[in-house]
Amino acid sequence: MRRFFAVCRYEFRMQIRKRSLWLSTAGLAVLIAVAQGDRGPRYLPADADAARVMGSWALLFSMLLPIGFGMVLADRLVRDHRLGAASLLASLPTRPGALVAGKYAGSVAATAVPALLALLVTAAGEFVHRGDPALFPSAVAAFAVVLLPGLAFVAAFALVGPLVLSAPLFRVLFAGYWFWGNLLGPNYLPSLTGTLLTPIGDYPASWLIGERALYAGTPGWLSFLRPEPGGGAALLSVVLLAVLATPPLVFASPLLARRTSS
Amino acid sequence: MSLWRYEARRAGWPACLAPPASLLVTLALAAAGAAFGTPRPSVHSLLLSGVEALVPLAAATAAVTVVSVDRCRELQLTLPTGYSWTLGRRLGVVAGIGAALSVLFSAALRLTGSWAGPDSPLASALVWASPLLGLTGLALLVAVLGRSVVLATTTVAVVWLCQQLFASALIAGAWSRPFFLFLTSRAGVADGWGTNRAVLAACGVLFITIALLLLRRPERLLTEEEI
Repeated sequence: MRRFFAVCRYEFRMQIRKRSLWLSTAGLAVLIAVAQGDRGPRYLPADADAARVMGSWALLFSMLLPIGFGMVLADRLVRDHRLGAASLLASLPTRPGALVAGKYAGSVAATAVPALLALLVTAAGEFVHRGDPALFPSAVAAFAVVLLPGLAFVAAFALVGPLVLSAPLFRVLFAGYWFWGNLLGPNYLPSLTGTLLTPIGDYPASWLIGERALYAGTPGWLSFLRPEPGGGAALLSVVLLAVLATPPLVFASPLLARRTSS
Repeated sequence: MSLWRYEARRAGWPACLAPPASLLVTLALAAAGAAFGTPRPSVHSLLLSGVEALVPLAAATAAVTVVSVDRCRELQLTLPTGYSWTLGRRLGVVAGIGAALSVLFSAALRLTGSWAGPDSPLASALVWASPLLGLTGLALLVAVLGRSVVLATTTVAVVWLCQQLFASALIAGAWSRPFFLFLTSRAGVADGWGTNRAVLAACGVLFITIALLLLRRPERLLTEEEI
């Protein structure tokens, strides 16, 4: 356990100092805040409650921020091989499982910091207009249920996917998947949009907002994964995303061992 | 020819495989759509998106990799051949694969009656050539300017995603319409289509020219991990 925390700590410290992480998060947050259109959270009525306001902002950020996180994390495990550090890491007494788990936890924590900060800064901006101190705890709650599960899901695939596909191919497929699986209307093509498996956080955001946020529960392909939005469905969505993030991490150790020995 | 084969190997198999992989994904999505009762015009529009949207995305991401990930950059900089020529050949391989596949895919769509683009062969080529040039040019410029794979790939992915997300608003805006990458698959060969294709191609040429000017000092591409 001590080794896991040590790996987690160094991974966090390496990532949190990456300029590209901060630049991409800030750029994407500003871009989506400016381009949100008149249906965005900026135009919610003045008497809207804090959970609705911050739930809407969290969903808005969740549309683009994970793209940057996926791109940042796509080379984390591959990079160890490119720099020749993989053999050195393999010689340490830390088991590959603890190494992967530590890198994963450290990566998620480091990418979560700018995302949480973006939401808190937004809450401060909304506080100026609305004067409701509940905006700040709502921002943290919205981050925890909307952004964080999606981030944990994206991080698992972004760390391990490039070991199989290579980083460039993963990045192309990831951008395409993000649009198809999260934002493309399910009435246009069979897609995962609007199901419990969307890492964009549609179900948790719908629960916070009190109405369908985007496509959650819209009739379409895989109808058994499209229950009516609500608290139970939101919880189920978060649990399913956490479960789906596990298999890539389990396969990461043998994949890393194979690459290191070859 | 051996030089081009060598450059293809240096560009790397992922960069060369990205365009065919994107077309395979298009075919898989179209097959799934057809199997689940998606109307034929929507399936044809999706197939057109394969060459107009996915191949340019794949080529642009591959271009970032070619520029940013070179393990022998210091060695290249000591050679009498200009580094921009070397990069140009590698980018040519990536763009050439994307172009050749787009021509073949478009021809196959025509033969099977699934082509939803313009009729003339020249205009058909502009369906994929203009966004390919525009997006790959942008990728090259950001990669040279920022020297960061993350920054360049995020920029490409976000431009691509935002154009998909805000397609209706971008098509409706008089100033944004000429810069919209997916006009054929989203609005057909409508008013201003020729201008849109010309502007995208011109932007691509402009971005590539600026990147080439910056590459007159190729040592600027060296990163902390290389110095």
